[in-house]
Parts: sequence; C-alpha cells; structure tokens
Amino acid sequence: MRIAAILIDTGRELLFRKTIVVYFGVVTLVLLFFALALRTDVADGVISTLSVAGLEASGSRGAFRLGGAPAGAGLGGLTAEDFVRYVQLGAAFTLYPLAILMSIFATASLVPRMLEKGTIDLLLSKPIGRPALFASRYLGGLLVATLNLLYLTCGLGSILALKTGVWNGGFVWSGLVMSLYFACLLAFVVLVGVWLRSTTVSVMITAVLFFASLIVRWPHGNRDWPLLISGRFARFTAVGMVESLYHALPRTYDFVQSAVALIRHEGGLQWGAVLGSALSGTVALGLAVVHFSRRDF
Amino acid sequence: MALRGLDLVVPRGQTFGLLGPNGAGKTTLVKLLLGIAFPTSGKATVLGRPSGHVPTRRRIGYLPENHRYPPHLTGEQVLHHFGRLSGLGRPERTRRVEALLKRVRMEEWRAVRVHKYSKGMMQRLGMAQAILNDPDLLILDEPTDGVDPIGRREIRDLLLEQKQRGATIFLNSHLLSEVERLCDRVAILREGALLREGSVSDLTRPQAAWRVEVRPAAAEALQAACRRVPGAGVVQGGVEMSGDAGALNVLIDALRGQGVEILSVVPRRDSLEDVFVKVLNEGEAA
Repeated sequence: MRIAAILIDTGRELLFRKTIVVYFGVVTLVLLFFALALRTDVADGVISTLSVAGLEASGSRGAFRLGGAPAGAGLGGLTAEDFVRYVQLGAAFTLYPLAILMSIFATASLVPRMLEKGTIDLLLSKPIGRPALFASRYLGGLLVATLNLLYLTCGLGSILALKTGVWNGGFVWSGLVMSLYFACLLAFVVLVGVWLRSTTVSVMITAVLFFASLIVRWPHGNRDWPLLISGRFARFTAVGMVESLYHALPRTYDFVQSAVALIRHEGGLQWGAVLGSALSGTVALGLAVVHFSRRDF
Repeated sequence: MALRGLDLVVPRGQTFGLLGPNGAGKTTLVKLLLGIAFPTSGKATVLGRPSGHVPTRRRIGYLPENHRYPPHLTGEQVLHHFGRLSGLGRPERTRRVEALLKRVRMEEWRAVRVHKYSKGMMQRLGMAQAILNDPDLLILDEPTDGVDPIGRREIRDLLLEQKQRGATIFLNSHLLSEVERLCDRVAILREGALLREGSVSDLTRPQAAWRVEVRPAAAEALQAACRRVPGAGVVQGGVEMSGDAGALNVLIDALRGQGVEILSVVPRRDSLEDVFVKVLNEGEAA
C-alpha cells in the first residue's frame, strides 16, 4: 500500500508538471492523424492505393508520388508490411527521442523535489523504509515513461494494423527496449539528483552522459583509431577512457540499433549492449539508494 | 556538533515541551528521534524501540516545521496520501479523513489544491495529517508558527484532545505561552546542551513574592505604605514586594493605614518566559 501511495503520487506529480501531458498530446495528434487521414487499399499484401489527408499517393516500380495517378497503377509493389515498417521507423526516429527527452525533463525533478526540506522530513517519518521509498519514486517515473512509449507503439501499431491488416509486434518490443534504455538513463538521473539535489544539474549531466555515450561508440566500434595516437601511455590511457565510458554508460547507439532491428525484423537485440547498460544502470541506482539511505536530512 | 551530552526521558502520556533559541538543536533532536538524521554517537529509543525503527513510525504522528505538501494534491488527497503511507486501510482512512476535515474546518477546501492554501490552513491540514493515524506519540515542530490567534487556539484545543486521548506529545515551540498552557514538562536547550528540565509547575513555582491589587488610589498613599516595607514598590497601579508572609502583613496594614482598599493578594510566580530568559542568561554566564 505504501509503495502504491508513492507510485500514485509520482504519477499525479508528473501529470501536474505538464511535460508528460505535452508528449501525450503530441502522440495523440500523431495517432489521430493516422487514424483519420490515412486511407489504404491492400490487395494481395500490396498497397494498391494510398491517400493521406485526401492526397492520393501512387506510382510504379519503386517511384511513387502524391497528387494523383492513373487508377490501378499501384505503388510500385510496396507491400503493406514494408509500408507499416517504414511508418513505424519514421515514428521511432522522431517520437522515441521526443519521448526520452520529455521523460527525462519530467522525471529529473522527482528526486530533488522529494528531498526538499519539509517534504523529505514528512516522508521519512512514515513507516516506509528509505530504499523502498526511493525505489518507488524511481519506479513511478519509469512506469509513466513506459506507459507513454506503449501508448505510442500500441496505438500506432493498432491503427496501422486496422488500415493495412499488418500487425508488427516488433514495434511494440522496440518501445519496450527504449523503455529499458530510459530506465538505465533514469538511474543516472536519480543518482545525480540525490547527490546534488538539483534538477537542472541532473538534466545537464544526463545530457552529457547521453552525448558521451554516442561519442564513445564510434571509437569503440573502430579499432584503428588508437594508431593515430603516438606514445604508448597516451594510447593506453585514451583507449582505457573510451572503453570505460562505453561500458559504464547506457549505450544509446546500440539501443537505437536494437529498436530498428526489432521494427525491421532484421536481427534482434544486441544483448551485450542491453545487458551491459542494464548493469551500469543497476549500479547507478544501487549507489543512489545507498547514498539516500545513509544521508542525514 | 548539533547535540552533546543530552540525556532526556519523556514518560508516556505526557506533553513535553522542548524550548531553546534558534540553533539550540531542537529540530535536530526530533530528526534523530524519527530517523531522519543519524547520531554520530549515543542512542535514543522511541516507544521502546530504537529511534528510526520503521514499523514503530506507524504509531507516530509528525508535523515538521515549514512542512510542504505535494502542490498537485488537494487537501483531501494529501490526507489520503499520507494515510496510505501510514498504512491505514481504505475504510478506516476514509472515515478518519472525513472526520478530520470536519474537525479542522477544512471541509470547504477539501477539493482545492494545497498550493492555494494560506499558512494557517496549511497548519490545520498539517495537524490533521499528524493525527490521522491516532498516534501514540505526536511530535510537533512549531505547530502554531505563522498562525493567527484564533488558529492557535484551535490547534491548542486539538492538542488538548490528543492529550486527553492519552497520546504522548513532544512539542517544539517558540511560543512559550502556548508551551506553558499545554505542557506538563519542559526542557531548555542551548547550543545542543540541556540547560534545565522539569515540570512546568516546578519551574514556575511561586516564590516569596507577592502582588497586591488595589482600588485606584493616590500615588502618595501607595508610596508611603511602600516606604514602610523593604522590597516593596508600586508597579502598574498595584504594589509588588518580595518577602515572607510577615512582611506581606506589614504591607497590608500600611496600605490599610493609608486608606487604600485592597482587592486581591496574589503570590507571584515566574512565567515560563521569565524562567526561559533566566536559564539562558545563567547558561551564558556559566
């Protein structure tokens, strides 16, 4: 009951903040757009006609255009399955970053606000242990972000399935993978939050981690770059730094690759990257819980 | 170090006041008792369990100084939220929330978000939150801070109800008159050290001093009577003196001899405020 109380309150707080509501509104508009403006005819698994907001798309042999074409020309053999995947990839590239960004902005203040004088005193006077209190707060933020991602993937997946008859379960899985990525990132957000008690610094440091994880991915994947550095010690240090950062941070690039692979049904999860990120997230969350549990307020 | 060498026992069922100037360590002591802060050395027990014992907190109600409630919640939601955190089941919680909203006169404001509440309303809601779980121990840090006289009276009545119910009350307050009216015992802290502890009646015990209230009379008559008794003087239209009962009778005779009509004779006792100032001054001198 106590954990439920914290989860409910965290959800209410995030809704009150409006950031999540904005994201929810954007996704709803996208879903409404696809539900109301998209018309498709599918014959034998191939899109024969397609119109978006009254503009008919048509074409032949790989080239298709909007604005009308001879009836029955088809869309260059574009299969309904490919069409659904393209749309979902587009949504993933535009709406996943928005979802992650909005969720970070919304949840970065969860811990610093909880630690404010007059709030934390009251919470700690209740019969709930510090680790449970902290973990519930973290879980509340994660649940809201996951629900938002599921709203997008299940909503868009269902609309496209109704319009084309193609259900792509990989899209929903990709949303859950991004939710796992957010879980790792959120662990670092709450660690900075409990340490420095500042929402702004939490967001800034998370942004730094996000970009650092993208930057170190290139040298990690490219084995020749150390040869550009002269001096064994400098080379050893640079390689050590890159590899440490790559393994310590949530691996943004690899998560995106995994999400794309799931949507396209090409390959699967990059388990090494996912488990490595989950481990670093768990360590960050563990450190945050330990710090919170030992701190005087 | 916020507290040093502090040794204090608060018996069950008593109302205990903790006094001290700013920075004396009052809030730190409360935080140590609740497990919000940890002692570097020493130990404390609350309701027979080590301080900070999580299940014991179910029997404790707490109103911190400058408490903040989640601004996105209404008054009613605040009570339900903290009721859930205290482990109250839904039927019991609903019953208590309804009764307490009525008791603290917040029924009309129940559906309004707390960020719109005045300071007094926040304190009333805070009191309701603190007693929501019918606590055995009620810890209040400046409960009347920023509250108008009527609100203070309401809070005092609420505390008296809790006292009659048998709850132990631990009260931190700057308002010494409130403490004097409510508390059975008090302790005075300064710079983390205990300067004095005792029952309010002992600390404010009557001394060999008196105040004689008289009907308005000529100043010369009063002065003349006072000249006959060492230690007597005119204060605010009456006569005050230090001395035993014999000296008091001499003063009464002298006043009657001057034709002054006596209305009452009251043994003088220090107010808690007098005691507080005196103890702090002694502590400073030491």
